[in-house]
Amino acid sequence: MKGLFLLVCWGLLFFFCPSEARAVQIHGPPEGLYVHMMAHVFFTASILFFFYWLRKHPVPEGKGWRYLKLSLLFFLLWNLDTLMIHILSIRLPEEALSRPSEIWHHRLMPPITWERFLYYVGRFDHLFCVPAIWFLVQSLKSFLAEEASAAG
Amino acid sequence: MKALPLFPIYISDFVGSILMLVFSLQAYRWANKLRSSQPQNVLFMYLFGLSLALVALSVSRSAGHMLRFVFVYAGVPEWWHVMAPWSGGFNTMTFVAVGVLTFYYPNVRRALELVEEDARKLRQAHEELEKAHAELKELTRTLEERVRQRTHELIVSEQKFRRLFESSEDGVFFCDAHGRLSDINPSGVEMLGYKDKEEVIGRPMSEFFLDPEDWQLYYQRLMRDGYIKDFETRFKRADGSVIYVIISANAIECGRNGYGCEGLIKDITHFKKMTEKLIYSEKMASLGQLAAGIAHEINTPLGIILGYAQLLKEEFVGNKELVEELGIIENQALICRKIVSDLLSFARSSDPRPEKELLSVNDCIRHTVDMVRHTFEMDDIHIHLHLQEDLPPVFADQDRLNQVIVNLLNNSRDAIGHGGEIHIWTYFDETECLVTIEIGDTGSGIPPEVKDKIFDPFFTTKPPGQGTGLGLSVSYGIIEEHEGSIEVFSPPEEEKYKRLGIKTLFRIKLPVAF
Repeated sequence: MKGLFLLVCWGLLFFFCPSEARAVQIHGPPEGLYVHMMAHVFFTASILFFFYWLRKHPVPEGKGWRYLKLSLLFFLLWNLDTLMIHILSIRLPEEALSRPSEIWHHRLMPPITWERFLYYVGRFDHLFCVPAIWFLVQSLKSFLAEEASAAG
Repeated sequence: MKALPLFPIYISDFVGSILMLVFSLQAYRWANKLRSSQPQNVLFMYLFGLSLALVALSVSRSAGHMLRFVFVYAGVPEWWHVMAPWSGGFNTMTFVAVGVLTFYYPNVRRALELVEEDARKLRQAHEELEKAHAELKELTRTLEERVRQRTHELIVSEQKFRRLFESSEDGVFFCDAHGRLSDINPSGVEMLGYKDKEEVIGRPMSEFFLDPEDWQLYYQRLMRDGYIKDFETRFKRADGSVIYVIISANAIECGRNGYGCEGLIKDITHFKKMTEKLIYSEKMASLGQLAAGIAHEINTPLGIILGYAQLLKEEFVGNKELVEELGIIENQALICRKIVSDLLSFARSSDPRPEKELLSVNDCIRHTVDMVRHTFEMDDIHIHLHLQEDLPPVFADQDRLNQVIVNLLNNSRDAIGHGGEIHIWTYFDETECLVTIEIGDTGSGIPPEVKDKIFDPFFTTKPPGQGTGLGLSVSYGIIEEHEGSIEVFSPPEEEKYKRLGIKTLFRIKLPVAF
């Protein structure tokens, strides 16, 4: 009984006299970017795995699958592109980008090194993701058409 | 290089965001249609999830890119600073979602394939089970009918083979591994001289082989080759008589005991006798030709000797001594002429025109017997006649037929010696249209080793000077000339002859005159 009483008192002491909490991890500002980049890596890995699986288990020939493969290929390129942009933007110095209040005057400042040039070109990531999703739409339409023709 | 403007990037982002939004919503629409068309299709489920995640991605990205411009132009850029982390976080989550879905699809697909494979196997097993069940059910339903049908077929088959077994003219036999007869058909039983099958069953087959060497040879060949074909041997019948047979048999497995046999026995005794008769007949024909040739050659010089002897006798009629000597020459020449005449009779060429006429065999026999009966009875030999009345006539030369009967009676008398019986039978064989004469005596019989030679010319068992050995040859020739046949049985096998004690029986068959 005495032991139980001492245990309860010790617990109450912790409850009423808290000090610095070390159990909860604090997430600082770069963590979000890292998580985002890791998500890109995860997405990339999943597409590579998918392509590997398709190589091991060939799927039937048809427009649907062809468009789907193209879509995933463009998503893969888009992921690599965006991952590269995220890395380059970390490496890019603050003064490399001039962003006055007027948005049309935003500039990538010289010297335009190959890194800065790559960053500039890579920022056109919609050139990858828009075709990717367009191919996905075409794939879905083809699958539906194939289904309809199969159903007779 | 100069500074690079960022507005092309912003325009690209803006337009791209709108396009992303439009295409993602289209993708969602098509994916939803696909999923509705086939709710259980894993690929369509994946594509639906992918489209949904991409809609979320497009919304978050487009919101990010477009609202940034809106908020900046609206003069509240701080709003964008508040919203940006949320947009980015949501964006990250959509990547993860798309990645997870992409990772999971192949695995789910694989798992589903395994499940489908198992299901297919189960379905197949189920179908096979159902089929087996149906067959079993059908079998149960028709079992009685099938058993009945099979039994009927079996009975028919058994009857068929039983009929063949029972009615076969050849002997059919089965032997066990010890060489004992385990079954035999009625023909086989009869062939072996038994009346009942039970008398034969269980007896060693070797018992029936006359020559033990033949049995050894038969058994060795059968065991070595597994079969034996047309094995010719002699069988000993129950009454001791011998038959010629050919055996064809196969070895059969009798469980662990070894090998038995099954086969056919064919009685070829008749065929064998016919063959022997044919050979004998050929021999006699050759001898006849030889005898005729010799007789013709001798006849001419003999006639000259006889003629000159008679001429000289007439010329020297006064010289008594010379006439007596010439008489001896004449007598001896006459004896020679008689022998030549007999030889020609045997050769059937003594008289080119025999005086054949319709005559009664019975009358012929009575006439001949009446002539000799007295002489025979002096030797205590009694002749008994068993003549069938109303015999059809035969077309024959009476003198010659008498000569045959006299020859045979004399032969019997010589065989009996003193005290005995001679029986003469006549009967008509309707099936062959032949009149048969049988002359049997109770004499000493004919030894087997000379039986084949008794019709040969000049063959005799009598002491020299007591017979020429032409009697039976002449008889043979005369009967052959009448298109008949003469056979000898010593002793005859029929019971009626045995009862009378007949040791030798001559059987003459003559064709009926039409």
